[in-house]
Amino acid sequence: MSTLKGRYTLTQSQKMMIFVLSMSLYGLSNMFTELIPSVQLGPIELSVEYFAFIPLTLCMLFHPLYAAVGAAVGEMIFGELMLGQFGGLGELEKFITFSLAMYVAGRMVSDPKNRMQVGVAAITGVAIHQFCSAAVDIVKVWVGVEELEAVQGLTESIVVIEGVGFLNNVLFSGILFALLPTMYLVPRLYGKIEPLLGMKPRERNMKYATGTWLSPKLVISGIILAGIAMGAELLSESGWSLGEFELPGAESNEGMLIWVSMLVAAIVAGIAITIQIRRAARKRHEAGQIDA
Amino acid sequence: MEAVKRALNRISVEQIKLELLGNAYNSSSTFLGRLDPRTLLVWYIFFAIVPWFVYNRTVLLGMFAIMVVTTILSRVSPYILFILCLGLISQVGWLFLLSLFFGGGIESLLPMLTLTLKLSVISLASITVFSSLDPERLSDGLSSLGVPDVFAFSLSYGYRILPTLLEEFHQILLSFRLRGQRPLRHGLIYWRTATYYLRIIVLVFYPLMLNTAKRSRTTIEALETRGFTYGLNNPKVKKLKLAYLKMKISDWCFLSGSTVYIALLFWFGNQYPNLLY
Amino acid sequence: MRKTVLELNGVTFTYPGAEQPVLRDVSLQLKQGDFTAVIGSNGSGKSTLCKCFNGLIPHYYTGDFSGEVIVSGQSAEGRTVAELSRTMGYVYQDFENQLVRPTVIDDVSFTPLNYGFADYKERGERALELTGLSEVRDEFVWQLSGGQKHLLALAGSLAMDPEVLVIDEPVAQLDPQHAREIYEILRRLNVEHGKTIVVIEHHAEFIADYCQNVILMDNGSIRWQKPVREALSSVSELLELGIYPPDVTRAAWMLNPNPLSVQEQYPMNPEEGRSYFISQHRAVEDNNCSMFKDKLCLVEESAEQKKEAVVQMEGVGLSYRTIHRTLHPVLKDVQLELKRGESIALIGNNGAGKSSLMKLIAGIAKPSGGTVHVKGTLINGLPAERLSGIASYVFQNPEEMFIEDCVRKEIAYYLKARKVPDMDERVENMLQSFRLGELAERDARLLSGGQQRRVSLAIGAAVRPAVMLLDEPTANLDISTKQELVKVLETLRSHVETVVIATHDMQLVAEWASRIIVMHQGQIIADGSKEDIFADEQLLRRAGLAQTQLMELSRVLGLPRICCTLEDFIVSAELQKEEVTHHGSC
Repeated sequence: MSTLKGRYTLTQSQKMMIFVLSMSLYGLSNMFTELIPSVQLGPIELSVEYFAFIPLTLCMLFHPLYAAVGAAVGEMIFGELMLGQFGGLGELEKFITFSLAMYVAGRMVSDPKNRMQVGVAAITGVAIHQFCSAAVDIVKVWVGVEELEAVQGLTESIVVIEGVGFLNNVLFSGILFALLPTMYLVPRLYGKIEPLLGMKPRERNMKYATGTWLSPKLVISGIILAGIAMGAELLSESGWSLGEFELPGAESNEGMLIWVSMLVAAIVAGIAITIQIRRAARKRHEAGQIDA
Repeated sequence: MEAVKRALNRISVEQIKLELLGNAYNSSSTFLGRLDPRTLLVWYIFFAIVPWFVYNRTVLLGMFAIMVVTTILSRVSPYILFILCLGLISQVGWLFLLSLFFGGGIESLLPMLTLTLKLSVISLASITVFSSLDPERLSDGLSSLGVPDVFAFSLSYGYRILPTLLEEFHQILLSFRLRGQRPLRHGLIYWRTATYYLRIIVLVFYPLMLNTAKRSRTTIEALETRGFTYGLNNPKVKKLKLAYLKMKISDWCFLSGSTVYIALLFWFGNQYPNLLY
Repeated sequence: MRKTVLELNGVTFTYPGAEQPVLRDVSLQLKQGDFTAVIGSNGSGKSTLCKCFNGLIPHYYTGDFSGEVIVSGQSAEGRTVAELSRTMGYVYQDFENQLVRPTVIDDVSFTPLNYGFADYKERGERALELTGLSEVRDEFVWQLSGGQKHLLALAGSLAMDPEVLVIDEPVAQLDPQHAREIYEILRRLNVEHGKTIVVIEHHAEFIADYCQNVILMDNGSIRWQKPVREALSSVSELLELGIYPPDVTRAAWMLNPNPLSVQEQYPMNPEEGRSYFISQHRAVEDNNCSMFKDKLCLVEESAEQKKEAVVQMEGVGLSYRTIHRTLHPVLKDVQLELKRGESIALIGNNGAGKSSLMKLIAGIAKPSGGTVHVKGTLINGLPAERLSGIASYVFQNPEEMFIEDCVRKEIAYYLKARKVPDMDERVENMLQSFRLGELAERDARLLSGGQQRRVSLAIGAAVRPAVMLLDEPTANLDISTKQELVKVLETLRSHVETVVIATHDMQLVAEWASRIIVMHQGQIIADGSKEDIFADEQLLRRAGLAQTQLMELSRVLGLPRICCTLEDFIVSAELQKEEVTHHGSC
């Protein structure tokens, strides 16, 4: 490690710095968002879901992987364990979806000075995360309730509740606490925060140094993004058409449900595989670093 | 919004510090708190996964009963239990109301009750276990079960750095407030005041990010001089660190007791699957 | 012949991206058992130098490195930081960030654990014992005081039983008595345990009392490495670089600036000063100073009579809740009145309640009993936004006051929030008064320590408060920056009615204050003028303070009054000299 490496590669310690930074900051913010009360308007909850701008900003400025994982760890430790609200394995799903979403958002930005790009990435990040967690919630009910289709109206309710929650989180939390602050912070911090950590800023208009371990991920993220976009379309459509089959049309209802559930399962599986691959890649990469 | 104000008042450095850290490190006095962390974690994993796939209401009820017992044993704070109940009720409640709207009937309540039962078992299991483990033992337990050491370290580092971060956050927030101007009128349902506070809470993170960046740099540098990376790559260190973890008789009793209970429960549940409804 | 523990040969280092090297062709040797001070002005490369010792440079900070570092006879090349750190303890200037575990005992045994020592717990315990921290072994790190944290950082390095200890500014934030304690511990480690110790230090008095050698850094290279007495006697050379030798040495030099012969060197502490000055002007008599006795000190005092009270505190108490859910009183029944135009120094040891008292005046903390009035307004419980025009509080750490991205915006923030009409003018005025004109567009976080202080004072003054409260304004500053700050404090007088400073820096108190309030265990134990307070040695000791060298010197020399500034002392001494010659000629 004694020689200065070219391009945007980081030393082990720099990665750790990004990790610790992201963990502490997002963890702290999470503590506050847990404590800020929410305004409940019927099933719609106006709440400060999270300060997504912190991991988003850091993912855009630094290496997105370490910032994203750091933030997810921070949430788990500060927001859950310390407040005595740790949900155990349930948090694992949050961890995965959240770091995936933040990572993708970070990867979308190639020029931190470009507000447009930053904004689009920020809102996409939130949308991905919210979509994934909604999907997971639906799967949970699907697994948890025996013979889901036998219960009248349950499927529709779940889809509606999750759909409303999704929209609310993206439009309220997403705009106020992800989009706007990120657009404000990223260009301001760019070039300023990096020297404090002893590293060079990302070069503008630089795609990541697509080393051997990065490119497959890029592809997979792309596929997943496309899949998610498609899924969102399909699901919302089917959600509304489900509403139309309100009367005992159990047949078509069931058919629809199978489609929805298969789609969700596919997405979840996709996510799991990505994570696996990324983990393995990181391990390899770290091992390489240590050897170096 | 009075609530916002109150919440902000609660974000007094002292208060949070004491509440959180006090709670976190006060657990070793309970029965469960004295068990080996690995016992608790293994026990937990069972109760976090299995209920999802059990549809036998008798078995679920039996699991719920044992959870109630362990919850009492671990002396969980009533506040947390209250939050938990509220969450469960509102979630399932809305689901039920909406399903009525979509043409469901009272009969859809029963499957949902089952769901509630499952969720309660799982939540209670996590509350019991994680409130019985102080962060040190939790991180050691996790690391002995193969969770990456960096995570285990971050966990206890979080507890180290939290007071410092809170302090700094508080000071910067104070700077904003001392030099800022609160809206003169509260506005409809306090929206002006609420917006003002939320805005500065977000703004605080700009200086905080920069200051924390500086701090992280020294910390990581110090970790290097303190042999952290050296230890990370040395399995001997991990063994040394975890040497104090010992499965005692009480651990085995607890585990075997639970196993016997669950086995009996499944047997019993198969005999009388519809004991409840 | 003692063995060489560390050797640098022709080391040159450039940070990545920097144009100039921070270290140029540095060569030095440290022998086992040395107690060495590294001095030099800010930015001369002291910390960078020390980071070469344990391989942080060039392994951690990648950059252009040439030359050779030899640790315990072996070349450091190819050895990792972790490996080199086994024999080299390093205590950072911001030592707080070095403590990474929640409890004391965990933190102290962290390093030996990482290196796989089976006896890591025992090592930790031993290190705690050496630093006198055994009593707090189970406490949380955040419960410790600043001094204890510093000791813990030291203990953390000691647990490895290193050969060399490097400490970056050991006493920057401590009151004089705690500072001595740290140095006593270092001396013991040096003498009894044979450790080689390197300190980066601004306080020449400590160097004089504890160190054996001095390395002078200037602009990235080592100017010389000399035994301490010889080093500190190079007064004019040091002053040129902005380094201030002990007052006694400077006094002797001012009275006799001619190059000295080799045997004859300047005194370094009041004891030596006594014999030196007595031998220089043999016949100093006690009572011949009456003519100038009253001249200097009483001038400033005359105008102090009846003035409007700015702050009134009555029966004020304050307590904090502890982790054991008990109340811990920090202030007990404080009565205080501060008047317009006073320059008040609040002194006392760490934890005496100085900061708490100031926070009450600033309205940041709410008293648990009693009332606080500032300018007739009752301020307990007012929201922070309403207070700032009345009192402004300058934090000890200026970085906590920086909320914007350039100096100009920092100063303007308050005025802008209130839409003050002559805002631009006022900002401009502040920038001029505090000499920040050229820095106006820079980010305050990236400025040097002294500049940051000036910005924080300007931020406070822009509010035009009735009372301005400064918490430890000279902590972490090197002496020349400190001198500069004293001038800035004079500027402040024209913007603010009353200034209160909480400090450990007796020199600052001596040069600046018109009234001194001494605090001890949450109570005010003395309140008076400089002369009253400084003459009472017992009082100072009780409050954890120490006399400055000059005060002590004036006492041991039997001068008629305690001299506070160097100029003051020189005038006294010159007058005495004249007096003596005058007598002689008669």
